[in-house]
Amino acid sequence: METTFCRAHTPREGAPTDDDEAITRSLAGDLAAYEALVARYSAIAHRTAALLGAAEEAEDVVQEAFVKAFRHLSKFRRDAAFKPWLLRIVANETHTATRARGRRAELALRAGAEPERLPDDPEGVAIATDRRTRLLGLVRALPEREREAVVCRYFLQLSEAETAEILGWPLGSVKSRTFRGLARLREEVGDGLA
Amino acid sequence: MGSHDDLEAALRELGEHVGPSAPPTDGVARAVRARLEAEPAAGAPAGRWWRPRGRWIAAVVAALLAVLLGFTPQGQAAVERVLRFAGIELHIGDPGPLPSGVPRALPGEKRVTLAEAREAVPFEFLVPAALGDPADVRVADGGRVVSMFWPGIRLDAYAGVLDVLWRKDVGAPFPEEVTVGTSHGWWVRAPHGLTYLSRDGIGSKDLARVAGPTLVWQRDQAGYRLEGLPELARAREIAMSLR
Repeated sequence: METTFCRAHTPREGAPTDDDEAITRSLAGDLAAYEALVARYSAIAHRTAALLGAAEEAEDVVQEAFVKAFRHLSKFRRDAAFKPWLLRIVANETHTATRARGRRAELALRAGAEPERLPDDPEGVAIATDRRTRLLGLVRALPEREREAVVCRYFLQLSEAETAEILGWPLGSVKSRTFRGLARLREEVGDGLA
Repeated sequence: MGSHDDLEAALRELGEHVGPSAPPTDGVARAVRARLEAEPAAGAPAGRWWRPRGRWIAAVVAALLAVLLGFTPQGQAAVERVLRFAGIELHIGDPGPLPSGVPRALPGEKRVTLAEAREAVPFEFLVPAALGDPADVRVADGGRVVSMFWPGIRLDAYAGVLDVLWRKDVGAPFPEEVTVGTSHGWWVRAPHGLTYLSRDGIGSKDLARVAGPTLVWQRDQAGYRLEGLPELARAREIAMSLR
């Protein structure tokens, strides 16, 4: 800890090249370094907040999470990855925001997301869109914890370990809730997916 | 199973079409920076305060407590200080009336074996060798807390690095800053109100109870609160025997 602190007093010039350097400099009060870190992770943070239910509050949630992360930066374990640590704060903020509101935002398909794949095949586009809408409906209907597991593992494409850290669950719970969620979806989807 | 893989692939593909598309980047960074600059007092990363990196911090804390101890006559304890440390929010000042009623179990509390507890919580915790194996082990709140019991003694271990899980309302005699091995801790001698804060930080009245003398400290990634020992020396001995 002491070495980190000393190193932090001699900030290097220019933009930080990696998370570790950015964190070291942020700890020394270098806000430009922290700004770079925010820019690097704001997209995934925003997506995490939105997919875990923050809706139009996602932006506020993300800002609040980054401010909190800065204030708690000295508690960040330096041999760990920054992303899951940050996303854990985002997830906590999202839970607080949605609980305060009383209900969470629905997952929704992005408008205008359809045509990019099969531009010459309107029928194919319609089928793909219909299939997505149906599958999304089933994901929405999952019990909360199974839905969160599915959202983290597949929509955000996080690893089991990252999901465990972000949601604050034991690894075993991530595995079992993902498994149960998939089993439920598979049962509902039947053969209709192919 | 084929359909299983298809489903996982379909979910990944679906994920590309759900949620925000144009992620804000610079805008967020600027807004965050502006907020941090606007609150210079709180601008420095927190935690420095309560994880002393230098002696001056301990000195500041000692001075603060000296003020509370030496210059706060009865009735003036309304000056409240809040210390956040190892997953605990310590409200020092006027503790108000102690909570009454029967102690309730923590949310989702389940009786388990020590081995099951290790599987069930997302952090590593240690057991004090000085007490031997606990008579009873419970895991609560989706693995957020593991509680170990011996006759008259309770040890809670929890992931207290990021979250605040407990609120303590303490009056005189004020808590004492202590060391536990190489870590820093607090010894709360007086009976005090203890509230468990659920994951969103809200503590319900149902989760408030009276706590006896308690030693609080952090080791590695876990926060610990050891309750039920009337003497600091013995509490510290037990705390230092974590294996």
